[in-house]
Amino acid sequence: MNILVCIKQVPGSTKVEVDEKTGVLKRDGVDSKMNPYDLYALETALRIKEKSGGAITAMTMGPRQAEDVIKEAFMMGVDEGALISDRKFAGSDVLATSYTLSQSARKLGNFDIILCGKQTTDGDTAQVGPEMAEYLNIPHIANVTKIFEIAEDSITVEMDMPNTIEKVRVKYPCLLTLEKDIFQPRLPSYRRKIATKDKAIRTITFADFEDQDAKKYGLDGSPTQVERIFPPAVNGKREMFRGESNDVAMNVSSKLVELKLV
Amino acid sequence: MGTLKVNDHLVTPENMAELIKICPFNALEDNNGKLEVNAACKLCRICVNKGPKGVMEFLEDEKRQVVDKSLWKGIAVYVDHVEGDIHPVTMELLGKAKELAAKVGFPVYALFLGHGIMDKASELLHYGADRVYAYDHEELKDFRIEPYAAAFEDFINNVKPSSILVGATTIGRSLAPRIAARFRTGLTADCTVLDIKENTDLVQIRPAFGGNIMAQIKTPNTRPQLATVRYKVMNALERSVEAHGDVIACSIDESKLASRIEVLEVRQKDKETSISDAETIIAVGRGIKSEKDMEMVRELAGLLDAQIAGTRPLVESGWLDSKRQVGLSGRTVKPKLIITLGISGSVQFAAGMNGSEHIFAVNSDEKASIFNIAHYGIVGDLYEVLPQLIERIKLEKGA
Amino acid sequence: MGYKIIDDRDLAFLKQVLEDERVYTGEAISEDYSHDELGGISRMPEVMVEVLSTEEVSKVMKYAHENNIPVVIRGSGTGLVGASVPIHGGIMMNMTKMTRIKELDENNLTLTVDPGVMLMDIAKYVEERDFFYPPDPGEKTATIAGNINTNAGGMRAVKYGVTRDYVRGLELVMPNGDIMKVGGKVVKNSSGYSIKDMVCGSEGTLAVITEATLKLLPLPKKVISLLIPFPNLDMAISTVPKIIKSKAAPTAIEFMQREVILAAEQFLDKKFPDNSSDAYLLLSFDGNSTEEIERSYDMVAKLCLEEGALDVFISDTDERKQSIWSARGAFLEAVKASTTEMDECDVCVPRDKVADFIKYTHELETEFDVRIRSFGHAGDGNLHVYVLRDDMNDEQWKKKLTDVFECMYSRARKLEGVVSGEHGIGFAKRPYLFEQYDESYISLLKNIKLAFDPRNILNPGKVCQ
Repeated sequence: MNILVCIKQVPGSTKVEVDEKTGVLKRDGVDSKMNPYDLYALETALRIKEKSGGAITAMTMGPRQAEDVIKEAFMMGVDEGALISDRKFAGSDVLATSYTLSQSARKLGNFDIILCGKQTTDGDTAQVGPEMAEYLNIPHIANVTKIFEIAEDSITVEMDMPNTIEKVRVKYPCLLTLEKDIFQPRLPSYRRKIATKDKAIRTITFADFEDQDAKKYGLDGSPTQVERIFPPAVNGKREMFRGESNDVAMNVSSKLVELKLV
Repeated sequence: MGTLKVNDHLVTPENMAELIKICPFNALEDNNGKLEVNAACKLCRICVNKGPKGVMEFLEDEKRQVVDKSLWKGIAVYVDHVEGDIHPVTMELLGKAKELAAKVGFPVYALFLGHGIMDKASELLHYGADRVYAYDHEELKDFRIEPYAAAFEDFINNVKPSSILVGATTIGRSLAPRIAARFRTGLTADCTVLDIKENTDLVQIRPAFGGNIMAQIKTPNTRPQLATVRYKVMNALERSVEAHGDVIACSIDESKLASRIEVLEVRQKDKETSISDAETIIAVGRGIKSEKDMEMVRELAGLLDAQIAGTRPLVESGWLDSKRQVGLSGRTVKPKLIITLGISGSVQFAAGMNGSEHIFAVNSDEKASIFNIAHYGIVGDLYEVLPQLIERIKLEKGA
Repeated sequence: MGYKIIDDRDLAFLKQVLEDERVYTGEAISEDYSHDELGGISRMPEVMVEVLSTEEVSKVMKYAHENNIPVVIRGSGTGLVGASVPIHGGIMMNMTKMTRIKELDENNLTLTVDPGVMLMDIAKYVEERDFFYPPDPGEKTATIAGNINTNAGGMRAVKYGVTRDYVRGLELVMPNGDIMKVGGKVVKNSSGYSIKDMVCGSEGTLAVITEATLKLLPLPKKVISLLIPFPNLDMAISTVPKIIKSKAAPTAIEFMQREVILAAEQFLDKKFPDNSSDAYLLLSFDGNSTEEIERSYDMVAKLCLEEGALDVFISDTDERKQSIWSARGAFLEAVKASTTEMDECDVCVPRDKVADFIKYTHELETEFDVRIRSFGHAGDGNLHVYVLRDDMNDEQWKKKLTDVFECMYSRARKLEGVVSGEHGIGFAKRPYLFEQYDESYISLLKNIKLAFDPRNILNPGKVCQ
């Protein structure tokens, strides 16, 4: 089994602020860490490997310091790691990022299963997995909550729908995005940290890609544009209901309806 | 491709330090005295606009190609369903689509993919759809990504909608990105506000960083433009008595509907029994006087599809299982709605639930600290308010 | 002991000093005020009053002193030894409405607070301002004055010491109503007997704390925890003295066993990051950068591996810390939920004797056929050992508990330990205090009490009485 896990380095905290004057994110002094959802993808990969053998590659896209998350993946038990880094990818939106990742996946080898966290804590879009699958022309299953069976040619999983659970079998190669809490992610191991201290991380740049059309990457490959960012409106209001219980009940239930809670 | 250029002759140690500091992404670095842009650059151009004048420059190589927007008309809504049961987010999106369409004189389309759905398709004509495009194929019976994406693609190629709204359900969040990638166009996830400009560009506002910031996003150069919206964000139109518009039966060459996915089972979700992930919680505290009064609480919980949770004293009294204890020493919950009944709001309890989206609190003591964290405070005797509230909600649900 | 019973005249006085609405009697007093978190001992106060200022406290104390009415001071009621139970009735003075954070003195690195401020609020307040108040008892909703009165230290005691070490000054109301300031913002103080240190840990028997000035430190910017699995508890705990000897200075060294982890998993319906080993040590390190902390834990990690640890797991992000500490925080409730009733022994033994003591509790489990669970502060020798009732009947339970406790306390004495590490003596643990110390020591305690409170009206019947 050849498994690829896509991971991302995100700010250490989502408590970011927008600078009122410039309208730009303030990220001063914010640590970075692995996207928490990706830990589930890594854990799932490790469990699949424990059952069915094979090798796990972790890849990430970002600047040089994003290597830290690859090192962390090594500490959790991943076999190989790759950093996708190039100034040509600057200004990538979700689509350009997904395309870049799909090109890297092609470059890195033939994978049976590609695993992604269901979303990131900074972008929160949950799009990269499905978009990558599209560019790799493979099926994907999103929001996987359970792995049922890992067979020679397919994997059977459950996916979480609003009111139903669907059990599906998908043939390799395929891409899965993992729901939070599918497994409790293991902690990085100090033993592995020592053992992988000098382990090489492969670097992938634009030059490695099969598709050399620069218009598909970075700013040019990004159909969306952020016009502005701003802090969310804070609703500090508190509403109190008093008086006849009959009226109170009516007002409260109307409020529940208005808020679409009933 | 647009790039940032460093005008080396203008770089001084001072302005280099200033620029490195100004970049929110740590994308500028001092490489042995030479200012360099690294791969962390997002091309946000803060350094160009706010940095020392002229040091950083943005070079645009050539004009980007822009699609002919006049060829793309209408606002389409993807009909979210499982086995023909239409998810109510669909009606909400139709309501929004109608409103946006009116601003630019567009029709509203619904795209319905499934099997045995033709009779259900006409229902959408009561909610604002001018035309329902229905693809009824055996292969579309259960949601599988490849055939669904293929039919979706067929629809876009034939109808050329300017915008497509998709419910941010599991299916929508799986399908919409696939389509966006196929058409190399923009998709904005989980929009909370949608508007449209005269030039038919959508104005899309969405939260990022877990809701700590909002971003306004546009898709200016490509069509169709896609957006997903969560359930209960937009408002559905009142069902019209008469149906307007038509259902158009569509078909696609079945060879395009092949899939490598096999749906083995679709089953109703087990009733949520853990409070940790519950969407709605009724929390009870010592205001509940006897165990038999829990019956009333259960009735309300049943009506709202809620889980019952409570404070430590109630757990200790044995009326609630210890797995239902909310608070510092119990579980942390973050439901969409929590209604607290007869809970004074000790810190111990509050710490386990103050992240809830909507907090309703019923307490007879106006000074109870629960009212400091509640969004909606109900001052009154729980034994009077609760039965009335139950009746009211029954009425609302019946209506 | 002939205390005065509260009558209408007393109530009229209290209502005049405190306004009607802050004086509660009869049914208006919540049953909560009759006990703390220790089961088995309870009594309602005759009157419960909420005080808002030092002057009010002083007036009430003066009146009680003159009229021979017993007074019990109460914070959040999170004690575990019955110290705030009004066993003689009388007045209960509720300090929880005095919640101002009065002054953050950045020049002297002190924080001055009202007695009713909760520990979690202090931590939040100072950390937002880049300061650090190290004492960290598990019960975060305890009030600061309650905490000072038990001198509970929490798990960071390994590196930073206990609450007493962070109390610089106190404002006190004496049992006769006199207001007195002891200590202050000064760093050094050799001016006679240290009343401040005596009041710390006095369990509400010597004076009423109406204000506290606490010592702060600069906030360490980063905390990393190590979760270290061992094949058995013996190996885990035997490693602790070596860690301490290594001079690596972890902030906390906790030990935990698999069965407690499993109980917490079930209680929280959440998996712990690892539950495959029998025993674990949990170490925390703080510092100003990841690199700095890595340097200090590196040595400890190697040492643990040499001592037979199966691995060393690193917890460096909020999610990871959450997955460990939320379980750690639920241990007590989880153990409680797994049985019908339990009682706790909170002895503190020299750090190199922890292993001996824990091994002994395992022997007791077999000898008395009773479930005993323990977890806690291996790094400071303070053990929290819980004896579980399960399906024993009243009589069996009382007998067994007394016997098992007797064994544990006498073993603790033998190991040169003390009766309580942080919960105090209160009402429940007095017999063990009397067993530990000889008459001259106890009489010294009694005389100290008498010097503060000649009429014995402040929390009578506790600690040494």
